[in-house]
Amino acid sequence: MHQINIGEDLRGFNREIAAENREMLQRFNLFSLNLMSAPGAGKTSLLVKTLPRLMEKYRVAVIEGDVQTTRDAERVGALGVEVFQIQTGGVCHLDASMIHSALHQLDLGSLDMLLIENVGNLVCPAEFELGVDGRVMLLSITEGDDKPKKYPLMFRESRLLILNKIDLISAVDFDLEKAKKEAREINPAIEILELSCKTGEGLENWIDWIDRFYKSRRG
Amino acid sequence: MHEVALMQNLLRVVEEAAEKQGGGKVKLVHLRIGEMAGVNTESLRFAFQVLSPGTRVEGGELEFEKIPLRIKCLSCGEDHCPPELTFRCPRCGGANMEIISGREMDIEYIMMDEEGDSPRAPAFSPTE
Repeated sequence: MHQINIGEDLRGFNREIAAENREMLQRFNLFSLNLMSAPGAGKTSLLVKTLPRLMEKYRVAVIEGDVQTTRDAERVGALGVEVFQIQTGGVCHLDASMIHSALHQLDLGSLDMLLIENVGNLVCPAEFELGVDGRVMLLSITEGDDKPKKYPLMFRESRLLILNKIDLISAVDFDLEKAKKEAREINPAIEILELSCKTGEGLENWIDWIDRFYKSRRG
Repeated sequence: MHEVALMQNLLRVVEEAAEKQGGGKVKLVHLRIGEMAGVNTESLRFAFQVLSPGTRVEGGELEFEKIPLRIKCLSCGEDHCPPELTFRCPRCGGANMEIISGREMDIEYIMMDEEGDSPRAPAFSPTE
């Protein structure tokens, strides 16, 4: 037996394509966000609330990642926005190559902003960078306040944490301060917004956040 | 279960490396897996069982080396293994911490059968 040194990252292949995506998005001056959360945290609902507001100012397209069905794409597409559906066929996350082929099929020159809804999952999407400007994660308060320490990578990799379904705060045992404190222990730079897609509470702050981040990247 | 995608990548890299050596069987793949890498080693083993038949690694073994999370304060330089995933400097209270180790998901080396030795590639190169 003899040893052959390799020293290669298993994510290396994805990272290379993510770098190509980043370069491509920058070439078209296209701002992009990757939305991640567990299933049912409200990613699609957030998009449905947010897109009409964004479409007043920006030319937006959405990439919808789902394991099965085109339901999310239909909900979002009903708003009149261009939607590109990726069905991963069992794969639990979007990877850079899926985004890469989507970028080749979208008319990037006619867009200002690309929003990517990842597959609902608190683990895998965090390990697969896509090459976007920023990662945003949603945690719905019905999921429990213990999630930051249980799924640290997602919190570490996200720029913004949206605590969704805040209208239910009196109905669930969710300690807001504990969740925020533990999220900041993992990622001291993380920004945190409280929001309810149902009542619209916090929606303004989220739109402002996008505007600010957009300007800092593309302004 | 993104371990299947990672395993496909592993097998591709390992096959290429074995090919460069002139072929032969890969007996062992040694991986370094960080404490904070989002990967489950049991799922990796499962993916290996499913995907390795028909490759040079078929019948080989996966070996995992666990790498602890280690972070360094960018303000004062203190580095430590944080208890309970707290990214704050215990010395100066700084919050700007760099991860030094613990995110690894690396194929460190493979072990190959002697019969795979290529005359042009000595088993132990003094330069390596």
